[in-house]
Amino acid sequence: MEKVYNFKWDHLGDLSVGRPNLGKETSVMVYRLMQYTFKDVFSKEIGKQKTIELFVKAGALAGKEFCRNVLDISLPFDEFIAELKEKLVAFKIGILRIEEADKKKLQFVLTVSEDLDCSGLPIFGESVCNYDEGFIAGILKEYTGKKFTAKEIDCWATGDRTCRFEVKAIEG
Amino acid sequence: MNSRQILEDLNTCFEEAMQRGLGQKGLIFPIDLDNVDDDELKHICVRLAAIFDMLNESYHYSEKLAKGDLKAKPSRTNIFAMPLKGLQASLTHLTWQANQVAEGDLSQQVHFLGRFSDSFNHMIKSLREKEVIEQRLKLISNVIGEGIFLVTSEGKIIFLNPEASRLLGYFPDEIENKFIHEIIHTQRLDGSFYQPGDNPIFNAITHGDKYNNTDGCFTCKSGLLMPVMIACRPVFKEDILDGAVIAFRDITEQKNYLKSLETINSLLEKQASTDTLTGIYNRMKFDEKLMIEIKRAHRYNSPLSFVMFDIDNFKKVNDTYGHLAGDNVLKRLAGLVAANIRDTDIFARWGGEEFVIQLPGLSLARAIIFAEKLRHKIEKYNFKEPEKITVSFGVTVFQARDNNITLTNRADAALYRAKENGRNQVRSSNE
Ligand SMILES: [Zn+2]
Repeated sequence: MEKVYNFKWDHLGDLSVGRPNLGKETSVMVYRLMQYTFKDVFSKEIGKQKTIELFVKAGALAGKEFCRNVLDISLPFDEFIAELKEKLVAFKIGILRIEEADKKKLQFVLTVSEDLDCSGLPIFGESVCNYDEGFIAGILKEYTGKKFTAKEIDCWATGDRTCRFEVKAIEG
Repeated sequence: MNSRQILEDLNTCFEEAMQRGLGQKGLIFPIDLDNVDDDELKHICVRLAAIFDMLNESYHYSEKLAKGDLKAKPSRTNIFAMPLKGLQASLTHLTWQANQVAEGDLSQQVHFLGRFSDSFNHMIKSLREKEVIEQRLKLISNVIGEGIFLVTSEGKIIFLNPEASRLLGYFPDEIENKFIHEIIHTQRLDGSFYQPGDNPIFNAITHGDKYNNTDGCFTCKSGLLMPVMIACRPVFKEDILDGAVIAFRDITEQKNYLKSLETINSLLEKQASTDTLTGIYNRMKFDEKLMIEIKRAHRYNSPLSFVMFDIDNFKKVNDTYGHLAGDNVLKRLAGLVAANIRDTDIFARWGGEEFVIQLPGLSLARAIIFAEKLRHKIEKYNFKEPEKITVSFGVTVFQARDNNITLTNRADAALYRAKENGRNQVRSSNE
């Protein structure tokens, strides 16, 4: 057995062959069931802080692969964001909206409504969309070539109705 | 306080609020917790007080949103404010989108906001269509072979296409915001300057009139004048004059072409109407002129005399001195006669050694005197080879029922008589 696993896009499999009757979609419940049970088990094994870090990291890898395989990075910024918005809706990930954008400093405030990870969750008092944070940062890094951080400042789980992310390029 | 008293106080508070609204102060929790002794009741009251706070906060929050304050922020745990937070997020995003559209980003679309999405997306679609039309117009103005100016209703240049720039030698930024009647259309083709008030383009622009000129003139950056064809059309915005579009074309080449065509045509015409040996009119041109003179004589009842003359024994000249000498005699004779007629007289070679002259305005008597003078001059003249020749004349005058044939026939008959009578003499049809 290999010591590490390397993700490749084709590991997602050929769904038209693999799921001829059930199709390529599943329920949000199942997705969340997996994510939150992972969170449960991981936090007990390695601690909550470390778990969150790993979720962000995995999200970033997902964002990078999503950008490479689904998005067109040759588009100018406005059109790239328009396409990203469309794809996020098409894949039912969430409704992306921009509230503020400083294209020179590469600083943004984004919201994702009806977010796959958290919309409809009870109020935990803390944001839970760590995977999303990584996902957004990963997409922007792949598109711009610069490192990004994305911090969720509002979340359904903190009493908001949309997830709000502060996204910044990291200097250097 | 017991639970009934608490409920009654609350009821009074709600009753007032439902009658007068919440006002500035909002809902004021009517229970003093110190007066509630029962721990369980106290606990319920604390929660009720928190609900009151949330309602008040939510009320103020919605007031702020209604005023357009998108920075308003209620506490996270306020459950009444949650749908409004969703609305706030949508409005914040829409504000950003509207700014994007204003800056020309037409990739914006609004989803999931009901009829508002439809309206917004419809607006974007219209803007995109407008953009396509604008791009097409821009392309047309770029590739079109005519110069185009867009000017304000005062004649200030606000746009010129690449062809206008190329033709006139100006870069757009050298000429934009200058007045077309002060820099481009200032002179006539003869170099004279327009005076205030008589500049046709300026008048058309300021009055909102159409203006066409196939023979206009623009001044290039070099100072040179360019002959141009101009079409000027007013532009209206909501029925108010907003300026004009001026299209023009350099017609220097057409003008040169016309000029050379004119030269060629007059040359061709001359060749067609001129006798190649003597350079005077040929018979065809003479006939053409005769028709005109006959008409004139008819209309004004003015006399028109007609002289036909022929060199005596010309065959002998050719036989003795050769054809070249004969030709020279014909040339010299034509030159001599041409020098002794009026501008209004029409002189032509009829064929061979025979010539004709129309004398408009001359009576027969005066025509005979004229012919006699001419005969005398020819008789005296030195033709070199041979030195002396003589000429016989037949003279007639136009009569009311004449046409060109009857007129020439009579002159011919008179000439014949002059020959019969021994040559070197003038005979008229009146004898
Ligand atoms: Zn969230």
